[in-house]
Amino acid sequence: MHRSKAFALRNIKELLRDPLSYIFCLCFPLVMLAVMTLVNSGIPEEAGMTVFRIDKLCGGICIFGQTFIMLFTALSVSKDRAGSFLVRMYASPMTSADFIAGYILPMLAVSAAQSVITCTASYIISLFTGVELSPLGLVISVIVLIPSSLFFIALGLIFGTLFNDKAAPGLCSIIISLGSFLGCVFYDADSAGGVMLDICKSLPFYYCTKTARSAAAFDLSAEGSLIPILIVSLSAAAATFISIITFRARMKAELS
Amino acid sequence: MKAIETKKLTKKFGEKTAVNGIDLSVEEGELFALLGVNGAGKTTTIRMLSCLSAPTSGEAFIKGHSVASGRTEIKRIIGISPQDTAVAEALTVRENLRFIASVYGFDREKTEKRINDMREMFGFDEVLDSRAKTLSGGWKRKLSIAMALIGEPEILFLDEPTLGLDVLARRELWRAIRTLKGTITIVLTTHYMEEAEELSDRIAVMLGGRIAAVGTLAELEEKTGKSGLENAFIAIAEGGRD
Repeated sequence: MHRSKAFALRNIKELLRDPLSYIFCLCFPLVMLAVMTLVNSGIPEEAGMTVFRIDKLCGGICIFGQTFIMLFTALSVSKDRAGSFLVRMYASPMTSADFIAGYILPMLAVSAAQSVITCTASYIISLFTGVELSPLGLVISVIVLIPSSLFFIALGLIFGTLFNDKAAPGLCSIIISLGSFLGCVFYDADSAGGVMLDICKSLPFYYCTKTARSAAAFDLSAEGSLIPILIVSLSAAAATFISIITFRARMKAELS
Repeated sequence: MKAIETKKLTKKFGEKTAVNGIDLSVEEGELFALLGVNGAGKTTTIRMLSCLSAPTSGEAFIKGHSVASGRTEIKRIIGISPQDTAVAEALTVRENLRFIASVYGFDREKTEKRINDMREMFGFDEVLDSRAKTLSGGWKRKLSIAMALIGEPEILFLDEPTLGLDVLARRELWRAIRTLKGTITIVLTTHYMEEAEELSDRIAVMLGGRIAAVGTLAELEEKTGKSGLENAFIAIAEGGRD
């Protein structure tokens, strides 16, 4: 326990001292929130397009922000692997469980902070735009965003373990684009329907966004919240399991 | 009990044999140098002894613990300073040392005591609160060795500790290593003759993955009939080619 705590503390310090983490993990989602709100102000109500309205946008931007946490997790792991730092740590009493917990826990904390900031900013925007946003719904959003956060962190851990520090960010960028598109962050697949909706529904990204939006709207129905939360939680559990197996296998291979 | 003992220790990477059946014996408190040109198998040997690489065949024992079955015990009693300076770049010198002390489970009081020990040993006063990425190569190398030492290891592995350092930084690091002599078993790899000559109690000359000769400087000189380690090394290397 003391080893994973020590490693987590080291990782969070490294993250907090990297200016890029503030730009990508905090500033960029807030800028997107502001820009999309401006875009929404130019869309006439008759168009019936609500994806950029703050009550819908909030959950989408929270998920968009989490995809950057995935990128930072991948960078953190792949950078450690690129140098001799992990060599030193492999020769210490650290176990694979210590490494995994040490990478995941600080990222979960940063992701939670990111959700709180995004939801708070969304609430402030809702006061100006006159769109109703329930504070209780936003509090629930922050809680239900934890499984999707774990899902993206686990994906980052997998990419950082399998690929080097040059390839991992590029691959994460693909997931960021795919995740925000197929997760319907900036696009309403439910209104579009058809094959696109089927594709979106076959991947966990859609349910990540749906969970966040439903919670923000205080929709606790089975279809709106419970089933999507279950799907996201199962996806997070599967991704975490795969990340543990992948990290252990890589560690074993590097020590053989 | 020997600090380190190997029996026919071998490491192959596919068809290539990096370390070929070496037999080594290192006494407690000894500073033992593995001397050889690049690709001689020094780092691979250290990696096997520090449980970072599994031997293909043969055995190695660290304080009686087998590297094959006693990894957990061995990791508690060794420290390693890899060839590249393996430090957390965004952390300060103090934070790097505190981090490693926490990994070894030291409480706050002991951690501060050990940080103070390292500060005194390596003269960290002026850089203790500087981030590692702002340090010069020499300071980073000292920090890397201090991080290997802070866990109170019984055996310290130093892989090319002065590689890439200027002459002044190298001399300064030698002074720090010399203060450790006799208090801890040290295995050092180097391709600098003067480094092995200056620091070591005994030297193993590695050539093509094999131990070509082992002994004190005087023993190697006597064996080859040459004066100085460089001449003795060349004689051993040329003898190995015949």
